[in-house]
Amino acid sequence: MVKQFAEWLSTTSPSVFIQNHNGWVIPTIQSIHIIGIAVVLGSVFMIYLRILGWAGMDQTLRQTTSRFGPWLTGGLYLMLATGVLMVIGEPVRELVTFSFWLKMFLVAVSTVFAAAFQVSLRKHEQRWEETLIKRRSIQGLAILTFLIWVCIIILGRLIAYDHIWGPWSPATKA
Amino acid sequence: MPIDINALLKSLEATGLATKIRESVFLFPMIESTHVIGLALVFGTIAIIDLRLLGLASTQRPFQRMASDILKWTWAAFAMTAVTGALMFITNAPVYYHNFFFRTKMLLLVLTGINMLVFELTAGRTIHGWDQAPSAPPAGKAVAALSLVMWIGIIFMGRLIGFTTSRAAVAPPPAAGVNFEDFLQGTPNSSGGTSTTPPPNK
Repeated sequence: MVKQFAEWLSTTSPSVFIQNHNGWVIPTIQSIHIIGIAVVLGSVFMIYLRILGWAGMDQTLRQTTSRFGPWLTGGLYLMLATGVLMVIGEPVRELVTFSFWLKMFLVAVSTVFAAAFQVSLRKHEQRWEETLIKRRSIQGLAILTFLIWVCIIILGRLIAYDHIWGPWSPATKA
Repeated sequence: MPIDINALLKSLEATGLATKIRESVFLFPMIESTHVIGLALVFGTIAIIDLRLLGLASTQRPFQRMASDILKWTWAAFAMTAVTGALMFITNAPVYYHNFFFRTKMLLLVLTGINMLVFELTAGRTIHGWDQAPSAPPAGKAVAALSLVMWIGIIFMGRLIGFTTSRAAVAPPPAAGVNFEDFLQGTPNSSGGTSTTPPPNK
């Protein structure tokens, strides 16, 4: 069904436009998508370093998230916009892969994590600054969520190499 | 005695390590992914510093404090991209070496190095005077703006290398006057078709 949808999408006029200008449109969108990744990963990296006590110790946790939170959100919107354009431009290449769907699942998981963290920090600011941030479990969770972002980047690249999943990849079943 | 660069590139490509990466299904994609993670951290952290110099973000924090907090991570991430970049280079050395986008990217990397040097010789010398100020003096701002532009250029060049150096992309073109319709029909899988050769790394 996904394959039929992807094939239909590839016949729509926005998709045909991108396909016809493939030489520069796709590389440009992909490059902007990578700049989005850099903004997102850079932002979460600074927040994780603060939680682990490895950077930004002259700032409170709340100051750190106020500095980088909006950039994280902005970066995610930029990635969403360029991601949608890439799907429209190359529907089969993107949608008929195992990597893409696993990536989308992990994006959903980490976005929920990030939102829940922001809400909790706003509600229990003092508790976060004084006790929660020192907790081993919280620090472990921070490392785990950072690793999820790393996996998202790897899966994004693997969309181009979906055959490495062997039988799990719908792309190998021609 | 002049160095025969083409022979050197060919011997790089023929090394056991390069062969191993080319023949593995996993190695190249994993090296490339690690390269993307590294560059995301390089550009992400450099942008934080550049925006601080420009007076656009983190203006309340002393510059030196931020630099000592952040730049060590930038260098670690840069080392990651250098190692993974070199590993990708040796798998197809002659093609990368002659590629326009690869050369432009290397040139931009050299220019970012010179840009850094210019910072050290100008705004870097008077740092104690503006450490607490919301932005750097004009020379520092110019360096920061150039740095942002050049790093964005490096990212674009890097992506274009992937589109112009894969085995499929450098194969001789089918004929003059390519009709895009020919590509669109054929196989629905636009990334490589059904052959056993690895798909281009786009």
